[in-house]
Amino acid sequence: MKQHLARQSGVEKVEVSLIDGKVDVTPKEDGRIDPLQLLKAVYDSGVSVAEMEVIVRGKIMKDSSGHLALQVTPNQSFTITPNDLLKSVQSLADSSAVLTIRGELYRKPAGKKKTDTSAPLKLLILDVQKKE
Amino acid sequence: MNTKALALLALLGCALLFTPASKAQVKHIEMRVEGMT
Repeated sequence: MKQHLARQSGVEKVEVSLIDGKVDVTPKEDGRIDPLQLLKAVYDSGVSVAEMEVIVRGKIMKDSSGHLALQVTPNQSFTITPNDLLKSVQSLADSSAVLTIRGELYRKPAGKKKTDTSAPLKLLILDVQKKE
Repeated sequence: MNTKALALLALLGCALLFTPASKAQVKHIEMRVEGMT
């Protein structure tokens, strides 16, 4: 699995802890990495992802359907799941403020054994680390 | 003079072009997995 992940586009380093069941992925410096692609790569290796957390920098924007999303690059954005932390930053929508956010992108639904790689990833904000 | 101004303009253009990419990015990904041996 480690080698398979390391071959994915945008991956700089992969660290696997068998004891904790944790996989740490360090993206390349340009940060152009697709978390959904990683989720699929892990699943293809015969392992199921229970949770995926990210630290991501981006701007809060309103997407075409009016939902708030974190835009990481012009081609990559994550729709944000509403919670109290989103309320604290939603006033920054469509501004030039860049936020560093720790968030959950995936959690395996309770009772399901397989990783669901069909649904788009949504960002649940766990911590706003920096506002610039 | 013109060359200097053009060089400055090109530098400014490059800075504007590359700033958003360096400011926004995925910094780290952590997964908790099941079934790993």
